[in-house]
Amino acid sequence: MSQLLQQLINGLSIGSVYALMAVGYSLVYSIMNFSNFAHGGVIMLGAYFGYYYLTSVGLPFPIAFIASALTTCVLAVIIERGAYKPLRERKAPFLYFIISAMGTSIFLENIVIATIGPTFRTYPEVLSRTPIQLGSVSIGRLDLAMFIISAICLALLVFFIDHTKMGKAIQATAYNIKASALMGINTDLVIIVVFALGGFFAGIAGVLFGMKYTVYPQIGVITNKSFIAAVFGGLGSLPGAVIGSILLGVIETITSGYLSSQYRDLIAFVLLIAVLVFRPRGLMGKVTEDKA
Amino acid sequence: MFKKTLALLLVSLMIVTLALSGCSKPATETGSQAGGADASAGDVIKVGWMGSLTGDQAVWGQCELDTIKMLFEEINAKGGVLGGKKLEVIGYDTKGDPQEAVNVAKRLTGQDKVVAILGPNASGSAIPIAPVLEEAKVPDIATVATNPKVTVLDGKVKPYNFRVCFIDPYQGAVAAGYGYDVLGFRKAAILYDVADDYSQGLTEFFEEFFTTKGGTIVAKEAFKFGDVDFRPQLSKIKDANPEVLFLPVFFKEAALIANQARELGITAPLMGGDGLPSEQLFTMAKDAVQGTYIVNHVDYDDPEVQDLKSRYKNKYGKELELNGYLAHDAVVLLVDAIERAGSADSVKITEALETADVKGVTGRIKIGKDTHNPEGKEAAIVKIEGDKYVFQQKYSAKLD
Amino acid sequence: MDLNYITGILTLAGINLMAVLGLSLLTGFTGMFSFGHAGFMAIGGYTSAMMTVKFGLPFIPALLIGGLVAALVSSVIGKLTLNLKGDYFCIATLGFGEAIRLILDNVQYFGGARGWPGIPHHTNLLNVVIINIVAIFILANIVRSKHGRNMIAVREEELASQIVGINVFRYKLISLMISAAYAGIAGGLMAHYMTFLQPKMFSLTKSTELTIIVIFGGLGSISGSVLGALVLTSLPEILRAFSNWRLVIYGLAVVIIMITRPSGLMGGYELTPSSMKTLYTRMKNKNKGLPNQMEGGKTI
Repeated sequence: MSQLLQQLINGLSIGSVYALMAVGYSLVYSIMNFSNFAHGGVIMLGAYFGYYYLTSVGLPFPIAFIASALTTCVLAVIIERGAYKPLRERKAPFLYFIISAMGTSIFLENIVIATIGPTFRTYPEVLSRTPIQLGSVSIGRLDLAMFIISAICLALLVFFIDHTKMGKAIQATAYNIKASALMGINTDLVIIVVFALGGFFAGIAGVLFGMKYTVYPQIGVITNKSFIAAVFGGLGSLPGAVIGSILLGVIETITSGYLSSQYRDLIAFVLLIAVLVFRPRGLMGKVTEDKA
Repeated sequence: MFKKTLALLLVSLMIVTLALSGCSKPATETGSQAGGADASAGDVIKVGWMGSLTGDQAVWGQCELDTIKMLFEEINAKGGVLGGKKLEVIGYDTKGDPQEAVNVAKRLTGQDKVVAILGPNASGSAIPIAPVLEEAKVPDIATVATNPKVTVLDGKVKPYNFRVCFIDPYQGAVAAGYGYDVLGFRKAAILYDVADDYSQGLTEFFEEFFTTKGGTIVAKEAFKFGDVDFRPQLSKIKDANPEVLFLPVFFKEAALIANQARELGITAPLMGGDGLPSEQLFTMAKDAVQGTYIVNHVDYDDPEVQDLKSRYKNKYGKELELNGYLAHDAVVLLVDAIERAGSADSVKITEALETADVKGVTGRIKIGKDTHNPEGKEAAIVKIEGDKYVFQQKYSAKLD
Repeated sequence: MDLNYITGILTLAGINLMAVLGLSLLTGFTGMFSFGHAGFMAIGGYTSAMMTVKFGLPFIPALLIGGLVAALVSSVIGKLTLNLKGDYFCIATLGFGEAIRLILDNVQYFGGARGWPGIPHHTNLLNVVIINIVAIFILANIVRSKHGRNMIAVREEELASQIVGINVFRYKLISLMISAAYAGIAGGLMAHYMTFLQPKMFSLTKSTELTIIVIFGGLGSISGSVLGALVLTSLPEILRAFSNWRLVIYGLAVVIIMITRPSGLMGGYELTPSSMKTLYTRMKNKNKGLPNQMEGGKTI
């Protein structure tokens, strides 16, 4: 029983890491309708920025945290301007966006290897590693902090989208980009804001990931899991991304704990296909009409 | 339109210039300082190196290449080999990918005309290059490729593959024997990487030897390369209550596993193979890995290795990683073979390698004719105390 | 340049080309994006190696069986996922590729993650070239047939093709199965070239590499795929001397190509004797000051 409880906590904690990564990705999808595979690269850079702000620059943790999120904000916008805007202007099909995103992701990962080097970096200990014990169940302090920070950020994001003018513009653009432009919404600006938000979340995810695990150039690989989680929940939907991530985290832990850790990803994949067979747009995906 | 054409032209120009400059100036490093440039082609012996310069094991690959460069410089400064010939290393990245390794082997043997190849560190890269070596008749000395099939396949020895390290069955036997006989562990848990060849091999042999001795494997859990969270598996392992947690993995995973295991309250000591020792282990998980036993190739406190350690540190300002020691021994083995062959002919070097018997920093390397492995090489058991790998004892196991 | 080295790279380019040709039908002509083709290569590779090593079959039948098994597996996957749209299908194929790799990692019959050494060496430049010529011939005929035109219709306007009575699902499935068969044969060629198989060889990176080649060559152009496979397989080799920087350049080049020449190298055009003639006339016209129509390429 206590193992089941512990496994659920493990699952929640893993799921919240996926969620932080999936949100930025899903946000971009909701507007642009393509999988931004460069997102993993931005997360990785966020982890590196956080590390250097903390160690080399010597900023206190909260400032370093915000600073790296802001840096990745700018970075994500630069990527949008460089790699996607020219495609957008030409109304290229989504394939080109994906390829461009993959090229960017290869570029980001390898420029870090070529300049900073392939070695792993470890964050200085910001929070104690000794977990909180509740009976035989242990909860990491960092996990708790991560969970709270993710929750706050998500709440702020939901507030921003629901209650500000820009947020409403984002919603309108996500619904129909052409019509929004006709209604006088500056869709170019909306796209910048969305990428900036995505970048901000990537930075937060990167720093938290780096603190919890470690920093290395291949962090982006982990984001594949969050892409799967986002599809699980339904692309383009923020609640979907969060729910999909948490579900994937819990399913993975329960599978490893009670079925087979050797075949964990296989079982997760079969489940994904099963969900998609019955709900082709994931659990709560954005419905886009076929253009006739 | 004009802008597009211009951009396209620029890209092609960039690639072409890079390609051209690449052809004329490969990533070589002549060991000799100033004199090297004057040496005519006949006076330079080219040696190839391959290994991971990118990916998880890049730390080790870089260290191997750096060690070889340093040693070649030293040898050249002392007058080179074969009475005045200079050694030169040409190193390429395999990304740890078998297909890349085959390309690199073809390039080294065909294009760069090396007399021998050092490395790679990954068995998955060392196995597929065998046909290339046989065709080109160029020997290869693997550094830490521990899969038995690197040198022997279906009972037949591969003529051009050699290595300086012990093999997985031996490593598994040593870990199981030391854990069971010396430390008295009876219940072991294993957490391994299902997508990694080294990890699967070592798991298999550890399990085999540990259970034959009478021990039980109370939990055998797997993760997949790229994972960073191991708490689901560790929670299960914790419930099985093992006396020792065997980690046939590399240092990055080992450090993360150690941290998470301690967080979950697993107090059992850890044990691992030659994938563990790295300076990185301490920066990532210094407290969590205390008391870990490691089956190693070398005793770091051995007075005979201190000189190499300090030379490396002086030159590169970093600690020498495990692979550096084995790269050193590969160089020793090769130089000995070149001297005894009396020429820089790759076939003669191969013949000389078959009868080699040299002393390296990781022990005596006497190449077995039927296995091309160093015969009877003892493993060094080290234990982590503080930020040191403290030598426990030399240990050898019988395989049958 | 050493002949042996060049032959090696060309053989590898040929093996890649085989997989790219199949993917070209799926992505270039039917408009679907797969991240799991390395999985089909793996199925083909392991099956054909099993045929030659364990059952002693000759090389060519073993290759064909490998392709056939890959096609059969793809039909099962296709039945489940082909109704998915855009990125959903992408991610599903991504999951498929990873799942195949995980299964192979666990199956000790094939050596698991430790790999399978000792596969006979059958693949050489000559048979790769012959197989590719046959494959191109078959593909060109498919593309030019009624079925090929239907596939292009599906790519261009899925809904409209459905309305005019094209069985969209069926054409998607046929396209996927043919492309999987090609990938399977490519996997078999790879197995008998490397003489070694390891699940690691069929990673997600391999799948994306294939897709990048198709796009680079130009969607909907077979000759583009041929050029793409040749250029992009040898590019990393040419850049080898730059060690760490070569993938930086590779990534950057992909982005720059996408934003400057999105229609790829060939941009939907084919390099056939007649088109060469047209090109020649155009070049002559250009010298006379007429606008050059090849420049922009055909947008898709």
